[in-house]
Amino acid sequence: MIRKPATPARHGLFAAALAVLALLPAAPAAAQSITCRPNYDFAVEVEGSFPEGAKFYQSDARGKFFIDVPACTTGLLMDLPSKKIQAIPRNQVKPTNGGVEVPDAAPNGAPAYAFSIDGPVIQFEAEAKKVRILPVLMRPPLVGPIDLAALVADRPEYREGMKAYSPDPTAIARIGKYPKKVQIDAFFATWCSHCKDHMPKFLRVMSDAKNPNIKLNLYGVPKGWTLVAGPWQGRNINNIPTIIVKIDGREITRMGSQPGATPEIELAEIFQAVR
Amino acid sequence: MTLGLVFLAAGILKALDPAEFAHQVQEYGILGARLSAQVAPALIVLELVLAVALLVGVRPRLAGLGAIALLAGFILIEAYGMSIGKTGSCGCFGAYVQRTPGQVIAEDILFAGLAVLALWGLAGWPGMSLQRGAAVLLGTGALSLALVLASPSLPIDPYVTRLAVGRSVGDLALLDKAPQLSEGRHLVALIDVTDPRAVDTATVLNGIVSRPGAPPVLALTPGTEEEKAAFLWTAAPAFETENVDRAVLKRLYRRLPRFFLVESGRVAAIFDGAPPAAEDLLSSEPS
Repeated sequence: MIRKPATPARHGLFAAALAVLALLPAAPAAAQSITCRPNYDFAVEVEGSFPEGAKFYQSDARGKFFIDVPACTTGLLMDLPSKKIQAIPRNQVKPTNGGVEVPDAAPNGAPAYAFSIDGPVIQFEAEAKKVRILPVLMRPPLVGPIDLAALVADRPEYREGMKAYSPDPTAIARIGKYPKKVQIDAFFATWCSHCKDHMPKFLRVMSDAKNPNIKLNLYGVPKGWTLVAGPWQGRNINNIPTIIVKIDGREITRMGSQPGATPEIELAEIFQAVR
Repeated sequence: MTLGLVFLAAGILKALDPAEFAHQVQEYGILGARLSAQVAPALIVLELVLAVALLVGVRPRLAGLGAIALLAGFILIEAYGMSIGKTGSCGCFGAYVQRTPGQVIAEDILFAGLAVLALWGLAGWPGMSLQRGAAVLLGTGALSLALVLASPSLPIDPYVTRLAVGRSVGDLALLDKAPQLSEGRHLVALIDVTDPRAVDTATVLNGIVSRPGAPPVLALTPGTEEEKAAFLWTAAPAFETENVDRAVLKRLYRRLPRFFLVESGRVAAIFDGAPPAAEDLLSSEPS
């Protein structure tokens, strides 16, 4: 192959182009955006408490997560492969359908924070606030009688689980019209993964049925409940969750959380059997 | 005879998956992981030897007494398990037969009653000669040990697990946790997120996910949510990871990892030990 020698004119043009490029201000590369959706399996703890509105988002990009801490002036983009958390200006965080869209990199000069991993927990300090990301099951449990409204306000995984469930409308109608006096005592635990899967479905059923004849009592059970005094004792509760159904003051049956269980169908069948 | 058959069935079923039996022994919290891994195979061998002794009549009264002692031990352990709130399966008949502790105690009491009756009925029967009996028991012990050691490598997964080509994901009881499997193509990875090698597996699976035309990957693990979180932070998987109730997932494997391709809600192919090559998974049209 014969190479054509460069002419002096070409050399000059090339040098001029380089000089112009060198004089240009350093422009940040246009950041692409990533879509993030809330992941309610994780809780955001800020300074030892779990503020309402603090959310953990999983992105569609590998190893990238967005953390919204309302007390922080910026959003926080955690990049696991590059082992850092970057501050994302809030005006660059765009709400989308149920989630947010954020740039996949922070602007130049934005603060970055180091994080550490301790088993299932990620911890870091941002804007002088200690933040931990931990599985929701690791949060301090709710123990004893619990009000449904307080439960859904405190535990997003229950609130969102209820929203996500679509119970069978026919079964809901049957439960809603049941004429007998029913008392349901539900023993569950906020640290129990079966409860996290099953209880929101059951609570959605209770909420949709709106039957004034059904009284629902919720009891949060502590870890090692067999050895701890509380309303769960003396009631032969061996599994969590245990949902005790009483009709006209008499215990009829107990519902559990078998895989694939549909609480509205199960409850409607119980009511059908006790007419 | 009946008791011998029961012990034989129990021993063989446990021997199909000795690691799972060791896990079940460990769950009682009496022995640690290391000791459970040693006691479990020994118990399987003991049960099989006792079964043969009862069936062929080697020292019948002594074998009957041994059976009663073993059953009494099982009843005590099960009662202890109940007292500490253990509600899972006992593993008495391996991983594939599941009963509550209460059912197990009732059964063991029944079997112990049978053994007492057998002792009474066997009074005066000398059984096999001592020399021949010793040879039979030694042979049984050696064969049982060989079975326990070799069974993890035996190609018996299609017969002892529910995972089989053609099965629907509904049959595998996975639709509750993974409804997306009912449509399209998916590569499902059954992984133990606590296994240090899971990070390497995740790297391979990340490579598959990044290839255009490759099916989405879904990892299912019997680990806890805490273990899943630790895996998420260390392996940074580019695929969804779900923890599934161990009792549900255990029916699909003896050893992890295991992988299977799902097409339109049915198992299309199974890969043991390592994920398939990405090229083998590419569809003609990018998904």
